[in-house]
Amino acid sequence: MRVAVPTVLTSAAAWTALSFFPDGFPMPRLCSATTAFAPSAQLDLFLTGRPPAQLAAELGLMVTAMIAPLVIGPVRHVRARSFARRRLRSVVLFAGGYAIVWFAACAALTILSALVRSDTAISPAPPICAALVLLWQCAPWKQRCLNRCHTRPALAAHGGAADAAAIRYGFAMSVWCVASCSPLMLLALVLPRGHAVAMALAALWMFSERLENPKTPGWAFHGPGKLVGITLAVAAGVRLRMPSRTRGFAAPAGAVAKPDDRDRERRAKKRAS
Amino acid sequence: MAYTRKNVYGFGADWPDELLWYARAVKDMQSRPLTDRTSWRFYGAIHGFDADAWGQWGYLSRGEALPSSADVAAFWQQCQHGSWYFLPWHRGYLIAFETNVRATIAKLGGDAAAQSWALPYWNYFNAGQSALPPAFASQQWPDGSGNPLFVAQRNGPQGDGNVKVDFNLVTLQGMTDPQFVGAALGASVGFGGPDTGFEHGGTYHGGLEAEPHDMAHVSIGGPDANPGLMSDPDTAALDPVFWLHHANIDRLWEVWHQNPPSGADPSDAQWTAGPASVGQRAFAMPMPDGTTWTYTPADMQNLATLSYTYDDFGPAVSPQTSAERLVALGVAPATATSPQAVGASMSKNVELVGASEGAIPISGAEARTAVKLDAAVHRKVAASLLAANVGGAPDRVFLNVENVRAKTDGAALRVYVGVPDGDDPAAHPELLAGTIGVFGVRKASLRDGKHAGDGITYVFDVTRIVDALHLQNRFDVGSLPVRIVPVVPVPDSTQLSIGRVSIYREGR
Repeated sequence: MRVAVPTVLTSAAAWTALSFFPDGFPMPRLCSATTAFAPSAQLDLFLTGRPPAQLAAELGLMVTAMIAPLVIGPVRHVRARSFARRRLRSVVLFAGGYAIVWFAACAALTILSALVRSDTAISPAPPICAALVLLWQCAPWKQRCLNRCHTRPALAAHGGAADAAAIRYGFAMSVWCVASCSPLMLLALVLPRGHAVAMALAALWMFSERLENPKTPGWAFHGPGKLVGITLAVAAGVRLRMPSRTRGFAAPAGAVAKPDDRDRERRAKKRAS
Repeated sequence: MAYTRKNVYGFGADWPDELLWYARAVKDMQSRPLTDRTSWRFYGAIHGFDADAWGQWGYLSRGEALPSSADVAAFWQQCQHGSWYFLPWHRGYLIAFETNVRATIAKLGGDAAAQSWALPYWNYFNAGQSALPPAFASQQWPDGSGNPLFVAQRNGPQGDGNVKVDFNLVTLQGMTDPQFVGAALGASVGFGGPDTGFEHGGTYHGGLEAEPHDMAHVSIGGPDANPGLMSDPDTAALDPVFWLHHANIDRLWEVWHQNPPSGADPSDAQWTAGPASVGQRAFAMPMPDGTTWTYTPADMQNLATLSYTYDDFGPAVSPQTSAERLVALGVAPATATSPQAVGASMSKNVELVGASEGAIPISGAEARTAVKLDAAVHRKVAASLLAANVGGAPDRVFLNVENVRAKTDGAALRVYVGVPDGDDPAAHPELLAGTIGVFGVRKASLRDGKHAGDGITYVFDVTRIVDALHLQNRFDVGSLPVRIVPVVPVPDSTQLSIGRVSIYREGR
């Protein structure tokens, strides 16, 4: 919980902060709903439609909001494999390496989406992107990228080598994460409207993929089976338990199919009080 | 009725009826096609399957039809390793296998035998019983030639065909952990293994899985230079002796139950109800009547309700009590057994004390590394050991051998801590931290398999070793030497390596 709770709260805070930004998020509204702008004009409008600092802040918040929950497992690994006195330092260095790659990727995706999107209903960008997302979702290369997101390597523990190891780990995790998730991010960005909702759904999908165990790469569609299972279990009243040493959320809760004695005692005490 | 599983060496003959009927049933199951859910190979694939390895050993023909995708998805590659489900899943696997064998025995005309037949177990810890049971070592059997229990791909710990599970290699170290699940990463993994979801090959092997389960596998199968069926999880269940080995592991779970202060299985709903309760794969076994039996760990906890038992529940291995440890550290017995002293030992703060620098390749006869200790944390451990005299709680100390990776399973390693330079580790059994049987590491090292390619991490309780070094004034050092000694030299082609060796403290 030492990692999960702060990470989820950080993500929630970023989403909240994003909601206060004017001019819509992350794409500015185009002036006309019926006129298709030339790509260069769209890009120019996007880049000049808001101050650079605001643009950078929005991108930073977007990265934090969407990506923070994905690094719970790696951050736990970094903490556990570091000396106690430098856990925070290693986590910050890891997060820095991770964020830099995603920040750059988000900037590139946002620029690309500014070039191809349109507010008109006849824009081909969303269906083309959707088809690419579906193809990528089923591709073995995507699964390969997802598998590498589960890596928990040996980390140097002492001095400068420990710093370098944390940064390298964050960088590597981010590269595989970007490779896995970019098409979905692009799709959310090229939609004519509803970006915030689309980004939130994309973030949820990415999180659900991270819950899944690594799989043998192959052509197959993999859905959010584990997240669905956890959700149903929680809805049935099961208390979630954070795993002690596994890959991220590889240990979901179990249903109370056969209540044990401790559960019966707790319920009896609650009734008595 | 309650079945009794008996020691394979306790029948008083090489070919008692139990083994004779077992061999007949094995032969019949081996004759069934792979697509038959009750066939020998189908049951073997429930544990693990690798088309290349099976083909190499002659268990899969080129172009041979596999079972339906639905059967493969429901049943195959199901074994739980590196997981707290390791023991309950294998218990159900053995029960289902046993049921199929009984049905086969009855089909072969052994109705009376089928009424009482139970899987024997091989307790290699008994004196004089470490060698492969004769019925498995002979190519002949009472029904003629071609003994179904004989397998050519058993090479023994030296790779020379002398198959035995050497008591000098396998240990009961895992039996001394009173907790089923470990507390935190770095400290004990727990007797039963870490909390996971459905896990076909986890990163951390529990105490019993690591020792003696893994080492027995590679001792029977053979080293990485010459591995046999038992050396790798994907082929292990094809060997008829696999089932006797796992019957012993299952028996040791019950031994642990019966010996205080240990014995409590997890009560968490996510263990008792199993991974199927949250939409993951169910533990499912095909039965001889064509039905599918699904079960949960809660179903596996009580031998009485499962209608079987064992003829012996030894050896009992009790962990060193906290009072015994305090006395060893010089505390007066009356003080050592006081409630304050015992209560003080229950600290659960876990932190890194030191780590090696750089990966450690294991090739040839020995590898050496040193765990460089952090001065401040080292002082904490030393201070806790000194404070034991005045009622303080001494730390427990754990050695982590992290990210062991290899291209081939089968290597058997001894890990020593604190052996002085120039000394032969074999002359210091008191400094043996534990043994590693490289079993499941090959699959865990594949970056494009069902793992992340991180290999397997092993954790050893080295508290006794650290206590001894402290009492000898040999713990006040900047680094602790670690020696990894293979039983048989490791060839370069195995590409065996360790990512990092580290030491953790568990204390205040």
